[in-house]
Amino acid sequence: MAESRTSSPATRRSVLNLLLTMGGLGWLASVLYPVISYLRPLPMQGPSGPVGLTRAEIGKIERDKFAIIPVGTRRVLVFEDSSGELHALDAKCTHEGCTVRYVSGESLIWCACHNGRFDLEGHVLGGPPPRPLARHAVQRQADGGIMVAVSKA
Amino acid sequence: MSDASGSRGLLKWIDERYQISPLLEFVRHKEVPLGAHPILWYYVGGTTLFFFAVQILSGLLLLVYYQPGETTSYESIRYLTTKVPFGWLVRSVHCWSAHLMIISLVTHMLSTMLLKAYRPPRELTWVTGFALFALALGFGFSGYLLPWNELAFFATAVGTDSVKSVPLLGDWLLNVLRGGPDVTINTLYRFFALHICVLPIAAFGIIGVHLLFVQRQGMALPVGESEAPRGMRFFPNFALRDLLLWLICLIALSALALFFPYGAGIPGFEWELGQKADPLAPAFPGIKPEWYFLWIYQLLKEFPPHLLGIEGPQLCLVVVNVLVAIWALVPWLDRSARAEKPSAGFTDLGVSAILFLAFLTLKAWDIGGGGGADGQLPDPAAVARNSAWILAALTVAITLVRVSFFHHRWFILSGAALLHAVLHGIGGVQYLAAGAIAATLAAVAIGFLSIRARRLPPFAGGNP
Repeated sequence: MAESRTSSPATRRSVLNLLLTMGGLGWLASVLYPVISYLRPLPMQGPSGPVGLTRAEIGKIERDKFAIIPVGTRRVLVFEDSSGELHALDAKCTHEGCTVRYVSGESLIWCACHNGRFDLEGHVLGGPPPRPLARHAVQRQADGGIMVAVSKA
Repeated sequence: MSDASGSRGLLKWIDERYQISPLLEFVRHKEVPLGAHPILWYYVGGTTLFFFAVQILSGLLLLVYYQPGETTSYESIRYLTTKVPFGWLVRSVHCWSAHLMIISLVTHMLSTMLLKAYRPPRELTWVTGFALFALALGFGFSGYLLPWNELAFFATAVGTDSVKSVPLLGDWLLNVLRGGPDVTINTLYRFFALHICVLPIAAFGIIGVHLLFVQRQGMALPVGESEAPRGMRFFPNFALRDLLLWLICLIALSALALFFPYGAGIPGFEWELGQKADPLAPAFPGIKPEWYFLWIYQLLKEFPPHLLGIEGPQLCLVVVNVLVAIWALVPWLDRSARAEKPSAGFTDLGVSAILFLAFLTLKAWDIGGGGGADGQLPDPAAVARNSAWILAALTVAITLVRVSFFHHRWFILSGAALLHAVLHGIGGVQYLAAGAIAATLAAVAIGFLSIRARRLPPFAGGNP
């Protein structure tokens, strides 16, 4: 009896159950797919080429020795070291994403959130950050302007 | 017609239509056990519910003026607190009540843990309570961003950044949560929807289930007991006492909101509006999250950049998740309590959890580390040393209470928590290394006890 049951052809109920399950899963997918697509934000637009700093940003560098500027979708820390040389590093700490600052007195980059410290090249000096800060190209123009171009990485 | 006959008539009218007699009968016969556990612990779930109700009402009032937006979020809260009559009070009540709700919830959860009320048949009551705790943290985290001030901005940046460590889905989740790769005003829109709509709906549903479980199963009795010495009628005796305590809570809340409108003045327990969020400003020194997230904040600091071939923040997230999962699964892990036997180890686990969290929180507060002036950083060694001494005093006090009043004799895990703090704070051993030493010694001690227990007749003593 048990053998005939296991080898019996599909009954009307089992076919209907299969169709109902597949229909239910299909319905769920047709609801979830648009909702998930809706929640995923569109890629942000922004200039990909070199960006010139505004007067206010250049003024901030002269005053505070650093400024954080938006380049495309990234925040870039542009700072002037004690010898007057310009540097540009990612402003987002590699630990938990806080915004770093340049501490001119100690010639280091510091993240106040978890005390991460980097040298002027972006290498980790101490604290919990696991990776160095990405470096970007920065150049002072003949007219006093400053241009920054983010690296692809 | 007298009032009594009038209300009887109304009840009859309702009963004829909706058949509520069985419900009334249930309420009439419902009793709260007395003489088993200290009755205070039966009230803290109710006070949590009371503060949640205050949150809903004060939140609705805030919504009248709050406008989410890049140029309106901060401004509308500033307008609310400076111009709107009693606007400062409504915000103060909302903030104080949020903190008091978390305190009440933590007390409720710890009492459930220490009294073993999670054991069968109440496992799902524990799980729904745990889900409500997670929702409460979600409420706190999402609400924190809404004023769009500097502190909120960085707290959200750090808090959401951890999501990227989730395997495979990390980047996708981070984007969905933030509405982009970084914290922007899009993040605020999403958090606003979560805070005022998604989380409240989820909370209402789970609170309903949690209360249904509590009503169906009644209050838990101590391990090994099947009947309470006596009982108190739930209605009206217990319900009126509940109401009285809620009134006391309301008075305390009003006093705190009136006299300390911007919080307790402790880092993580204050809500001055401060500066408006500026995504292009660096994080400011001394930045701290809310007090109930301070332990994770400090733990993130304790992990080195890389450990065991994994990045520190990722490993920290794994450790936090394992600890939280152990906590959530306690009803199934505590096999002694499941068998209605004393489970001294799990009582001590609850105490050691308190000590573990307290040590990290004390360190996060930079206690006795100096600094602050002229951007000077606190001395981490001094902070660790002071925190260890305070923790040692706390451990001694808790242990004395446990020995004197509850006759506890099992202290391996709380001893390990103390050893961890002492090795790190006073012995100068690195935090994770000290933790590894303490955990290893605790594991050896538990292993030794378990071997000895198999060789000797069953041990009848220990903690309840």
